[in-house]
Order: sequence, then structure tokens, then C-alpha cells
Amino acid sequence: MTVKKKISMTVNGRLVNAEIEPRRHLVDFLREDLHLKGPHLGCEQGACGACTVKVDGQIIRGCLFLAVQADGSVVETVEGLTKSGVLADLQESFMRHNAMQCGFCSSGMLLAAAELIEKQPKASREQVREWISGNYCRCTGYHSIVDAIVDVLDARAKGQKIKAVLANA
Amino acid sequence: MELNGEQLISAPIPDVWKGLNDIDVLAKSIPGCEEINRISPDEIHAKVMFKIGPVRARFAGKLLLSDVVPDQSCSMAFEGSGGAAGFAKGKSRVELKQAEGGTLVSYTTEASIGGKLGQIGGRLISASAKKIADDFFQRFAKELGGETVALESDAGGK
Amino acid sequence: MKSAAFDYVKPKALQEALSLLEQGGDDVQLIAGGQTLLATLNMRLSEPTVLIDITDIAELKGISVVGNSLRIGALVTHTEIEDSELVAKHAPLLKAAAPHIAHRAIRNLGTWGGSLAYGDPAAEWPACSLTLRATMIIHGPAGERRISAKDFFIDLYTTSLEPDEILVATEIPLADKHEVFYFHELARRHGDYAVAGLAALAQKQGDVLTNCAFTFFSVGATPMMATKAQDLVNGQTLSAELIAKAVAEARNEIDAIADITNSAEAKQHLIGVLLERGLKHMVA
Repeated sequence: MTVKKKISMTVNGRLVNAEIEPRRHLVDFLREDLHLKGPHLGCEQGACGACTVKVDGQIIRGCLFLAVQADGSVVETVEGLTKSGVLADLQESFMRHNAMQCGFCSSGMLLAAAELIEKQPKASREQVREWISGNYCRCTGYHSIVDAIVDVLDARAKGQKIKAVLANA
Repeated sequence: MELNGEQLISAPIPDVWKGLNDIDVLAKSIPGCEEINRISPDEIHAKVMFKIGPVRARFAGKLLLSDVVPDQSCSMAFEGSGGAAGFAKGKSRVELKQAEGGTLVSYTTEASIGGKLGQIGGRLISASAKKIADDFFQRFAKELGGETVALESDAGGK
Repeated sequence: MKSAAFDYVKPKALQEALSLLEQGGDDVQLIAGGQTLLATLNMRLSEPTVLIDITDIAELKGISVVGNSLRIGALVTHTEIEDSELVAKHAPLLKAAAPHIAHRAIRNLGTWGGSLAYGDPAAEWPACSLTLRATMIIHGPAGERRISAKDFFIDLYTTSLEPDEILVATEIPLADKHEVFYFHELARRHGDYAVAGLAALAQKQGDVLTNCAFTFFSVGATPMMATKAQDLVNGQTLSAELIAKAVAEARNEIDAIADITNSAEAKQHLIGVLLERGLKHMVA
């Protein structure tokens, strides 16, 4: 059965039209059809968090959401959010703390952390740990990721900016 | 996985034995049974739609009877394939005894569930299996015109 | 793994959804939040030919106060419950429980009605709905019917819902000013399936609790109320001695069943641990 549906959505600020099979997950649509490789596929069961993307302002599992369900919605991936705001601060902080090794979990981690900072700006370290327990990392051992997030929370609470990591040319 | 239990059915032993060997009675008793055929006196093939929670898996299964002692006991080996969902394999022994109020059916089952159903369903396989067994016996008893009678001790509960 | 192919329809009206459901029989499934269903389809543990998306249906949405009850629509997400001021005021047990459900990304889509309709023994909402004495509002071909939570959860993944019915909303009596509650879930990691959990509610006057509701989850095939322990505690001064007696009674009356990671004995033990913590918390 190859019945296809026409869908239309905004992805990272651009209007996208497509005709796809209903069973296609949003994350597969983003990666394979739109070539946005930020979100990754891990478990396809919603447990690992690697596929996390934002739909209509909230984080969701791209593997537990059909592209047809995103018809008429605003979709954002790490590629679209990277320019400014909470996500940019988090990226700087992740670099400072070496919170990324292979990078597979990073897109999901950043998006999850960004929602935490927006919704719970006074989150404690314990709350940060609980919040990101829905994102698995096999490389870092998590502490550097938690440190990075806590730093952004602290900086924002004090009205400070995260210092940009100076890159060698 | 082990599943052992006892059911008291308010019907005499010969009726219960006959029912357990009657394809039409089994068709109506097995929850989700879509097709059932007797291939030979000792072999039965069936297609069953296994429905629990969000899961809807169609299993094609084979049942082989052995050590048959009419009106008393039999052993059976079974295997079923659920396609991508997984597979099940096992053996069971069923014994009938005269009891006050009807026939006491005791069964012991050893089964292994493999594939996706085993991995994911593993959490609650025993509870699901018990539920299916209970459903089977309730329907079976109804088919015989009787009913299952609650036993004092909940055998097979743990 | 990818799911098998299916068609997708999104009715705007409840009646239309009910007709599609009735016509489709075993070959169709409803999708709301999809957090359980899509994981199931991804593993091909089900291969429906049509998904009926009910998320556009107005009657299933929203949180409101109706008379003396808090009405929660089936489509309300776990996050909406977590963030709702009405819930915080009228059913604070739910606000306390919400953060324990899986993880934020799941909570943003998963629904109140979906959790209740599946009746997973480890789920938080079925236990909470029992404790809060909720009434389920169900629509089917014969119209609307209501059933109390205590009659709704029948067996493992089995509720009173017929295959051609849709859970539309629940109504929960508004919290009164003497109400105290306790919610706790023991799990290896935050967000895991509970090893054992307790959703408890009572009315407190000094050292005395009345109208007690102690519902344990992830210990049996359905959420289980410790009715004998409730009877013991109701109306009595809550002394250390009474707590010990209630704990023993709860451990005795509930026949815990093992799951893949924990024995029945472990769960039996934890039932007592949770009740002790709960009683001490509620009477403090």
C-alpha cells in the first residue's frame, strides 16, 4: 500500500511541501527528505532521545511522531536554532566543558536542555539530571553535559553571557 | 517462562475431555482464534490474533499432542510464529481429575518467547500468559454449558 | 525498525471517528499522542491498515471546572496537566505525579486519555484516577456512558472500553481544603517504569486521616487499592503503632506479581515502605 499524503510545514523557518507515506516518521522525513542530519536515529522506541526535535515550540521524539502529524506545524531542528538564544549559549557552554565527544546525542541534549532552561530557569543540578535522563550518552559520562547546562542556568540567573570559546584559526 | 494453574469447570470429565479435543469448541475458546484445522489425530494448526494493550500480533501456530490418555491427561508441544513480532515455543501438560463440582483441569506450561515480543513484552509476559489462559478457560467452560468456579487458593498466581 | 504501511485519517467530529472505528474493527487503531502506539508499530507488534487520528476532536480537549468536578479531556497532554493552574488547585496529586511520567519529550505529546485507555499497570494516571475517585466519560455507538475508575480497570491492559468506544474525558471531585496527598514512585532511574508506586489521598484533621485512598501501581495486573489498610486508618489517630498495622495489612491484602526485573516479594516489601512514607507524610 503506497497511499501518500500531501503535507505542508515550516521547517527551520522555511515552508516545505511534500507528498509522503503516512508511516514515515518525522525524523526520517527531516533526515532523508530534507537532509537535516542534526537529529539522529537511535532506538526508534522513544527511549534514547537522539531523535529529539521541536514541533510547535516543544520538544518531541521524532521517531514517535509521523510527518503527516506535523502538517501545518512549525518544526525546528538544531540546525535552525543554532544562531542565537538559549541554544547558542548552550553550544558555547558544551564546548567549554567538553560535553560532546562523538556528537550523536548532542542535538537531542541541546534541545532538551534548551526547553529546561526556558521552562525552569531556576532548576537545580538534581533537576537538570532528572530532565536529561531522557537523553542517552555513551561517551561523556554525563557530568560534563550537566556542568555545561548548570553553567548556562547560572549565567542567565545573573544576567551574564556565556563567554565564547576562542577557536584557533 | 513457566505458567502453572488449575481451573475447576462445572462439567463432567468426559465432556471436558471431548471439548478439549473438539476443533469447533477450541475455535470458540481460544481468544483471538481466526482459523483452526486438525491436520491429523495428533496435530492441530491455528491462526490466532493476539491482542493485548496496543499489541495486535497474528500468530500462526502448530500444536502436537502426545502421551494421550483419554479422559485423563495429555502432553502437547507448541510453536507459533508471529512474523516480525516474534515467536513462541513451548510444551504443556494437562491433567483432568474428578473434583467436587465438576472437573479439575491442571496445567503446567513451559514456554519461551523470542523476538521483539520477548524483548519488549518480557516485562509482563507471565501476567499476559496468565490472562490468556484465564480467558481461554472461561470461554471453554461457557462452551461446555458450565462455568469456571473460583478456587479457594489462587494457584498459579505468582 | 519501520512500521508497516498504513493509511491515515483525521476526523474533525467525534461521530465520524466512532463510525470509522466501528467499520474498521481489528484493522484500525486510534492515535492520539501516539507515544505508546507508534513505538508498538515501529516494532511491528501491530500492523493496522488505518490510523484514526483523534487529535482534532474538540470534545476531547481542555481542562475545566464543571459543577463540583474538574473535567479533564482525553487529549490533554501530561505536560498540560503538569503546567495547569486548575489542576494545581483542584487535583494537586496529578501535578505531583506528572514529572514522573517518562521524559519531557514524551510528556509533551502523551495524553491523559491514552494512559487511562491502555491501563498499563505501571502507569501513573490509572492509579491516580482510582485514588481521586474519577468518573470516566465514554462515547460509543449507543451514546454516552459513565463509569467510575474503580470499575474501569478490569485486568492487564484491559479496561471497560469496548473496541468501538472512545474515552472522551474524566471528572474528578474538586479537592477540599482538608485534603492531603502523597505520590511516590520507586524506579531504578528517573523516568523508568516504576518498580512500585503509591498514589494516596486522605482528609486530615489533626492526627486523624479519613476518606483514605491508597492506590499502588506496578505491583499487579491493574492499579490496586489497599482497601483493608484504608479501613484500618480511617478515623483513627495515626500513631506509630497504627502505621505499622496498616503497613502489615497492605502487604497482606495485595497479591503482588513479579515482573521482569523485580520479584513479587520485593514488590510486597516496597508496598509497605511506600505506605509508611506516605502515612507519615500525610499526617505531618
